[in-house]
Amino acid sequence: MKVVALIYGDEAGWEALSDEEAKALDAKHRAFQESAGSKVLGGAELAPTRTATTVRIRDDQTLVSDGPFAETKEVLGGFYLLDCKDLDEATELVAELQEATTGAVEVRAAYEEES
Amino acid sequence: MKYLLLLNNDADEARSWRALSKDETRKVREQEIPRWNSLMSWMAEQGIEATGLELENPARARVVRVRDGQTVVTDGPFAETKEILGGYFLADCKDLDQAIELAQRVPLVDTGSVEIRPLVTH
Repeated sequence: MKVVALIYGDEAGWEALSDEEAKALDAKHRAFQESAGSKVLGGAELAPTRTATTVRIRDDQTLVSDGPFAETKEVLGGFYLLDCKDLDEATELVAELQEATTGAVEVRAAYEEES
Repeated sequence: MKYLLLLNNDADEARSWRALSKDETRKVREQEIPRWNSLMSWMAEQGIEATGLELENPARARVVRVRDGQTVVTDGPFAETKEILGGYFLADCKDLDQAIELAQRVPLVDTGSVEIRPLVTH
Protein backbone atom coordinates (compact mmCIF):
# COMPACT_ATOMS: atom_id res chain seq x y z
CA MET A 1 0.00 0.00 0.00
CA LYS A 2 1.04 3.55 -0.61
CA VAL A 3 1.61 5.60 2.51
CA VAL A 4 2.39 9.28 2.81
CA ALA A 5 4.68 10.23 5.69
CA LEU A 6 4.17 13.89 6.59
CA ILE A 7 7.12 15.36 8.43
CA TYR A 8 6.23 18.00 11.01
CA GLY A 9 8.65 20.05 13.05
CA ASP A 10 9.47 23.34 14.64
CA GLU A 11 10.23 25.66 11.76
CA ALA A 12 12.28 28.07 13.88
CA GLY A 13 14.46 25.12 14.86
CA TRP A 14 15.03 24.11 11.23
CA GLU A 15 15.91 27.65 10.24
CA ALA A 16 18.34 27.94 13.13
CA LEU A 17 20.38 24.93 11.93
CA SER A 18 23.97 25.76 11.09
CA ASP A 19 25.24 24.80 7.63
CA GLU A 20 26.95 21.83 9.20
CA GLU A 21 23.81 20.67 11.00
CA ALA A 22 21.74 21.12 7.85
CA LYS A 23 24.24 19.05 5.89
CA ALA A 24 24.17 16.36 8.56
CA LEU A 25 20.37 16.25 8.39
CA ASP A 26 20.50 15.97 4.58
CA ALA A 27 23.00 13.13 4.92
CA LYS A 28 20.62 11.35 7.30
CA HIS A 29 17.84 11.61 4.74
CA ARG A 30 20.06 10.18 2.05
CA ALA A 31 20.99 7.31 4.38
CA PHE A 32 17.28 6.76 5.15
CA GLN A 33 16.48 6.66 1.43
CA GLU A 34 19.30 4.22 0.79
CA SER A 35 18.35 1.85 3.58
CA ALA A 36 14.63 2.00 2.75
CA GLY A 37 15.48 1.37 -0.91
CA SER A 38 12.48 0.62 -3.09
CA LYS A 39 10.11 1.43 -0.24
CA VAL A 40 10.70 5.10 -0.92
CA LEU A 41 8.68 6.06 -4.00
CA GLY A 42 9.19 9.78 -3.73
CA GLY A 43 9.25 12.76 -1.48
CA ALA A 44 10.08 16.40 -1.20
CA GLU A 45 11.42 19.06 1.09
CA LEU A 46 9.24 22.15 1.34
CA ALA A 47 10.39 25.74 1.42
CA PRO A 48 9.53 27.66 4.64
CA THR A 49 5.84 28.30 5.33
CA ARG A 50 6.29 32.04 4.72
CA THR A 51 6.50 31.11 1.03
CA ALA A 52 3.13 29.34 1.21
CA THR A 53 0.02 30.60 -0.57
CA THR A 54 -3.46 29.41 0.32
CA VAL A 55 -6.29 29.52 -2.20
CA ARG A 56 -10.02 29.34 -1.46
CA ILE A 57 -13.12 30.10 -3.46
CA ARG A 58 -16.16 31.35 -1.57
CA ASP A 59 -19.30 32.65 -3.28
CA ASP A 60 -17.44 32.52 -6.61
CA GLN A 61 -14.74 34.85 -5.28
CA THR A 62 -11.17 33.61 -5.26
CA LEU A 63 -9.36 34.40 -2.02
CA VAL A 64 -5.59 34.15 -2.11
CA SER A 65 -3.73 34.54 1.16
CA ASP A 66 -0.08 34.32 2.10
CA GLY A 67 1.01 31.66 4.51
CA PRO A 68 -0.20 28.20 5.42
CA PHE A 69 -3.86 27.58 6.22
CA ALA A 70 -3.09 26.60 9.79
CA GLU A 71 -0.81 28.67 11.99
CA THR A 72 0.86 26.13 14.20
CA LYS A 73 4.22 25.93 15.93
CA GLU A 74 5.02 22.66 14.23
CA VAL A 75 4.66 22.84 10.50
CA LEU A 76 4.82 20.51 7.54
CA GLY A 77 8.40 20.53 6.31
CA GLY A 78 8.38 17.70 3.83
CA PHE A 79 7.05 14.28 3.05
CA TYR A 80 7.91 10.85 1.79
CA LEU A 81 5.73 8.64 -0.38
CA LEU A 82 6.31 5.09 0.80
CA ASP A 83 5.39 1.67 -0.45
CA CYS A 84 4.68 -0.46 2.63
CA LYS A 85 2.94 -3.70 3.56
CA ASP A 86 0.83 -1.85 6.10
CA LEU A 87 0.84 1.08 8.48
CA ASP A 88 2.90 -0.91 10.99
CA GLU A 89 5.74 -1.16 8.52
CA ALA A 90 5.41 2.54 7.72
CA THR A 91 5.49 3.36 11.44
CA GLU A 92 8.70 1.39 11.90
CA LEU A 93 10.26 3.01 8.89
CA VAL A 94 9.49 6.62 9.81
CA ALA A 95 10.71 6.08 13.38
CA GLU A 96 14.17 6.07 11.75
CA LEU A 97 13.80 9.70 10.68
CA GLN A 98 15.65 12.27 12.74
CA GLU A 99 12.55 14.49 12.65
CA ALA A 100 10.66 11.79 14.56
CA THR A 101 12.97 12.48 17.51
CA THR A 102 12.39 16.23 17.50
CA GLY A 103 9.03 16.73 15.80
CA ALA A 104 6.48 14.21 14.58
CA VAL A 105 5.77 12.16 11.49
CA GLU A 106 2.17 11.48 10.49
CA VAL A 107 1.54 8.40 8.38
CA ARG A 108 -1.53 8.36 6.14
CA ALA A 109 -2.46 5.55 3.81
CA ALA A 110 -3.51 6.38 0.28
CA TYR A 111 -7.17 5.94 -0.53
CA GLU A 112 -7.94 2.72 -2.31
CA GLU A 113 -11.29 2.29 -3.93
CA GLU A 114 -13.21 -0.64 -2.50
CA SER A 115 -14.21 -3.05 -5.17
CA MET B 1 9.32 25.22 -10.43
CA LYS B 2 7.86 22.42 -8.38
CA TYR B 3 5.04 22.99 -5.96
CA LEU B 4 3.27 20.78 -3.49
CA LEU B 5 -0.44 21.56 -3.47
CA LEU B 6 -2.06 20.40 -0.26
CA LEU B 7 -5.74 19.71 -0.81
CA ASN B 8 -7.59 20.41 2.42
CA ASN B 9 -11.17 19.37 2.92
CA ASP B 10 -13.54 21.06 5.30
CA ALA B 11 -13.37 18.78 8.36
CA ASP B 12 -17.14 18.73 8.94
CA GLU B 13 -17.79 17.89 5.33
CA ALA B 14 -15.18 15.13 5.39
CA ARG B 15 -16.85 13.68 8.49
CA SER B 16 -20.24 13.68 6.82
CA TRP B 17 -18.80 11.78 3.80
CA ARG B 18 -17.63 9.04 6.10
CA ALA B 19 -21.19 8.53 7.31
CA LEU B 20 -22.33 7.77 3.75
CA SER B 21 -23.04 4.29 2.49
CA LYS B 22 -20.91 2.80 -0.29
CA ASP B 23 -23.54 3.64 -2.90
CA GLU B 24 -23.91 7.20 -1.67
CA THR B 25 -20.14 7.62 -1.64
CA ARG B 26 -19.99 6.40 -5.23
CA LYS B 27 -22.67 8.91 -6.23
CA VAL B 28 -20.88 11.82 -4.57
CA ARG B 29 -17.65 10.79 -6.29
CA GLU B 30 -19.33 10.44 -9.67
CA GLN B 31 -20.71 13.96 -9.40
CA GLU B 32 -17.17 15.26 -8.90
CA ILE B 33 -15.69 13.41 -11.88
CA PRO B 34 -16.42 16.07 -14.55
CA ARG B 35 -14.60 18.72 -12.50
CA TRP B 36 -11.61 16.46 -11.92
CA ASN B 37 -11.57 15.57 -15.61
CA SER B 38 -11.63 19.20 -16.65
CA LEU B 39 -8.77 19.90 -14.20
CA MET B 40 -6.77 17.05 -15.75
CA SER B 41 -7.36 18.22 -19.31
CA TRP B 42 -6.48 21.81 -18.35
CA MET B 43 -3.19 20.56 -16.85
CA ALA B 44 -2.48 18.58 -20.01
CA GLU B 45 -3.18 21.66 -22.17
CA GLN B 46 -0.85 23.75 -20.03
CA GLY B 47 1.80 21.06 -20.13
CA ILE B 48 1.84 20.79 -16.35
CA GLU B 49 3.31 17.54 -15.18
CA ALA B 50 1.84 16.40 -11.92
CA THR B 51 1.46 13.40 -9.71
CA GLY B 52 -1.11 13.23 -6.98
CA LEU B 53 -2.67 11.09 -4.37
CA GLU B 54 -5.86 10.93 -2.38
CA LEU B 55 -5.41 10.04 1.26
CA GLU B 56 -7.37 7.58 3.34
CA ASN B 57 -9.69 8.59 6.16
CA PRO B 58 -7.71 10.85 8.55
CA ALA B 59 -9.21 8.96 11.49
CA ARG B 60 -6.85 6.15 10.54
CA ALA B 61 -3.79 8.39 10.55
CA ARG B 62 -1.02 7.70 13.03
CA VAL B 63 1.47 10.12 14.47
CA VAL B 64 4.91 8.75 15.21
CA ARG B 65 7.35 10.32 17.64
CA VAL B 66 10.59 8.98 19.05
CA ARG B 67 11.52 10.27 22.47
CA ASP B 68 14.46 8.95 24.51
CA GLY B 69 14.83 6.10 22.05
CA GLN B 70 11.19 5.01 22.49
CA THR B 71 8.73 5.10 19.62
CA VAL B 72 5.45 6.68 20.69
CA VAL B 73 2.52 6.19 18.32
CA THR B 74 -0.69 8.15 18.74
CA ASP B 75 -3.85 8.31 16.70
CA GLY B 76 -3.73 11.08 14.16
CA PRO B 77 -4.07 13.31 12.39
CA PHE B 78 -1.27 15.50 13.66
CA ALA B 79 -3.24 18.72 13.63
CA GLU B 80 -6.87 18.96 14.71
CA THR B 81 -8.02 21.76 12.51
CA LYS B 82 -11.12 22.97 10.70
CA GLU B 83 -9.62 21.70 7.49
CA ILE B 84 -8.00 18.39 7.00
CA LEU B 85 -5.51 17.16 4.41
CA GLY B 86 -7.31 14.92 1.94
CA GLY B 87 -4.71 14.62 -0.78
CA TYR B 88 -2.06 16.39 -2.73
CA PHE B 89 -0.69 17.28 -6.11
CA LEU B 90 3.02 17.55 -6.79
CA ALA B 91 3.05 19.79 -9.84
CA ASP B 92 5.70 21.35 -12.03
CA CYS B 93 4.31 24.81 -12.80
CA LYS B 94 5.75 27.79 -14.69
CA ASP B 95 5.37 30.04 -11.68
CA LEU B 96 3.23 30.72 -8.63
CA ASP B 97 0.49 32.31 -10.75
CA GLN B 98 0.07 29.11 -12.69
CA ALA B 99 0.02 27.13 -9.44
CA ILE B 100 -2.71 29.46 -8.14
CA GLU B 101 -4.68 28.93 -11.34
CA LEU B 102 -4.35 25.19 -10.87
CA ALA B 103 -5.48 25.53 -7.23
CA GLN B 104 -8.60 27.41 -8.34
CA ARG B 105 -9.59 24.46 -10.51
CA VAL B 106 -9.37 21.85 -7.76
CA PRO B 107 -12.93 20.70 -7.00
CA LEU B 108 -12.67 21.07 -3.22
CA VAL B 109 -11.38 24.67 -3.33
CA ASP B 110 -14.87 26.08 -2.90
CA THR B 111 -15.46 24.29 0.40
CA GLY B 112 -11.92 23.65 1.67
CA SER B 113 -8.61 25.13 0.64
CA VAL B 114 -5.54 24.47 -1.45
CA GLU B 115 -2.23 25.38 0.15
CA ILE B 116 0.64 25.87 -2.27
CA ARG B 117 4.15 25.13 -0.98
CA PRO B 118 7.22 25.55 -3.19
CA LEU B 119 9.79 22.77 -2.93
CA VAL B 120 13.38 23.24 -1.89
CA THR B 121 15.70 22.38 -4.73
CA HIS B 122 19.17 21.19 -3.89
